[in-house]
Amino acid sequence: MNLILILLVIGLPWLGAFIVLLAGDKHEKLQHVLAVAFSLAAGAAAIMLLPNVSKAVVISLPAGTVFGNFTFVADGLSVFLTIIATVIGSLAVIFSTSYMHGEAQIGRYYAFVLYFIGAMAGLVLTSNMLLMFLFWEITALCSYALISFNNDDPKAVRGGIKALIITSVGGVGLLLGALLIFVYTGSLSYSAILGGNASLPANILAVLAFGFLIAAAAKSAQFPFQTWLPDAMEAPSPISALIHAATMVNAGVYLLARFYPVFKDVPYWREAVMVVGVLSALMAAIMALVSTDLKRVLAYSTVSQLGYMVYAIGAGSVFASQFHLFSHSIFKALLFLAAGAVIHSVGTRDMTKMGGVGKKLPYVKWVFIVGALALAGIPVFNGFWSKEMILEAGLKGGSIVYYSVMVFVAGLTALYTIRAVWMVFYGEPRSDYHAHKVGLAMKIALAPLALAAVVSWLAVGRFSLLFGANSLPFHNIQPFGLKEMFHEVIALSTLIPLAVITLGILCWVFRSKLGGLVKAFNWMRWLAEHSFGFEGINTGIVKATEASAESLRTTQTGIFSWNLLAVLGTIIIFFVLFAIGA
Amino acid sequence: MSNFPVAFIVILSIISLAGIGFYCLLATRNMIKVIIGLQLMVKGVAMAFILGGNLTGQVNLAQTMALTVIVADTIVAVMGLALAVQVRHRLGTLDIKALSTLKR
Repeated sequence: MNLILILLVIGLPWLGAFIVLLAGDKHEKLQHVLAVAFSLAAGAAAIMLLPNVSKAVVISLPAGTVFGNFTFVADGLSVFLTIIATVIGSLAVIFSTSYMHGEAQIGRYYAFVLYFIGAMAGLVLTSNMLLMFLFWEITALCSYALISFNNDDPKAVRGGIKALIITSVGGVGLLLGALLIFVYTGSLSYSAILGGNASLPANILAVLAFGFLIAAAAKSAQFPFQTWLPDAMEAPSPISALIHAATMVNAGVYLLARFYPVFKDVPYWREAVMVVGVLSALMAAIMALVSTDLKRVLAYSTVSQLGYMVYAIGAGSVFASQFHLFSHSIFKALLFLAAGAVIHSVGTRDMTKMGGVGKKLPYVKWVFIVGALALAGIPVFNGFWSKEMILEAGLKGGSIVYYSVMVFVAGLTALYTIRAVWMVFYGEPRSDYHAHKVGLAMKIALAPLALAAVVSWLAVGRFSLLFGANSLPFHNIQPFGLKEMFHEVIALSTLIPLAVITLGILCWVFRSKLGGLVKAFNWMRWLAEHSFGFEGINTGIVKATEASAESLRTTQTGIFSWNLLAVLGTIIIFFVLFAIGA
Repeated sequence: MSNFPVAFIVILSIISLAGIGFYCLLATRNMIKVIIGLQLMVKGVAMAFILGGNLTGQVNLAQTMALTVIVADTIVAVMGLALAVQVRHRLGTLDIKALSTLKR
């Protein structure tokens, strides 16, 4: 049963991608219907995987002696992320039917979206490192193609190329890890090193651990690679929702969570993970505070919240990190889709030109506020519970310095969230925009997300069972019901973050009285607007890659005889090598 | 000369066929000649299959392989010549250097 379902989860979106392309751009309605049908079917297949979660290998496709078997496993972690990818992904697709209505080349759009969803499902379901790398790169390719979907806009193309290069640099870390695992265990499957059956030398394990950390940081837009995600905002809004909530950035956190049992004893690894998380969370929150582009604010908030997840893994609580990922996927998809509805309706992303949108789009205003409250960590919404659990875990598992920074970031989060809500929905209109009506498909896609943002934390007991010993034997996650969560979250230490969050909101309420203080932090604003100088690292990587590609271009003469000469040269080199070897 | 090994002659012809073909591919820029060079080379390869089969005793397998190679090679030749006609038609020349503009 699982076998068919896994094949369906990966295969259906890919088949759909192909069929949508075949349908042709002349039949736009058909393409919308096909895309929604295939993504919903994949979502249904993913949910049906839920009752049969286990650690056993489900599919093993023999792929010859070199590659080992292409194995797929449906354990808690993979099934959970598959559901996030396919279900949130299909909501984004439903939203797209209204958002992308009448755009050119809709077939290309849907094909890449479906390909993306299928690749993400494959990435988390496979237990073969080579296959994982392959899916990893496919998601990078799809994100590139979708970010630069408007390919006559140079900014979009640049954002896409940046995303592609940075995440591929991270992919090198993953490839290195996969090859090292192959060399030392003789198999490409990660189960050998997860179980501790194969002992790797300590230094190799350290290389592996930090290589995967770099890969995860690049993919999840963590410090110091955090600048590609905001630049990816040139994509259509449903794509942003897809990248931020359903697919792409979850992969990095998944990688860290998956290999946590192996790496937790590597010296300094957990420390490094926590530092990466804390720095990303802090810097991104400050940058979100000064940005005036609605989507960039949301992008920085994603980096910041991913920082929380990474921090939780470093602090030793994979469960809290995954629970926050769960909440985050829901409210961030909600926020991005609602922001998409606003942008679609108003026609600008600049918050300084909005104001008073709430009167014209009351439905969007309310769902956005639900998402914003969840993001800010206000009690009862799902973001509150998961963020508190991360902070509790941080208090137990890490230094008090990191904990206090993260609590401070929670306050900043509340501040920039309420700032965004206020600037968009309240006050007087600051430009004479014309608000269009919001389509029905948009409303349909937003409703379940808004509902889930309020109640998804109730599922914590079921959620923890997903990560139990049956499915993840090495992570050692205990069943964790609602009662335990109340017990852990409603404690004295919760009051501190809550107080800081309230302080953050009060800062906004009394912002006119804090004028002097704001001026005192002007240097910080300048720094934040310049990405704390880390833009330089990212631009440097992009420039270096492009320059080397440009210089290698001369080897591509396009003249047949030269290519053949290269073939001859390679044959001779191999003969010489064999002769020396023999 | 009756004990002169046949295999030796065959090896010699394989090397000369493949070598001439390869040299032809390297040296010429005329598309028709490129295809002729390719044909020469592949004929040498087909002979190598037959020789290999003869030496290892797997004659049937070798003949199958050789036949497959010949069929595939015919398709390549047909496609190549069709392309050559098109190229000549479009660019007015058979010089493959003119095709290097494809990369731009």
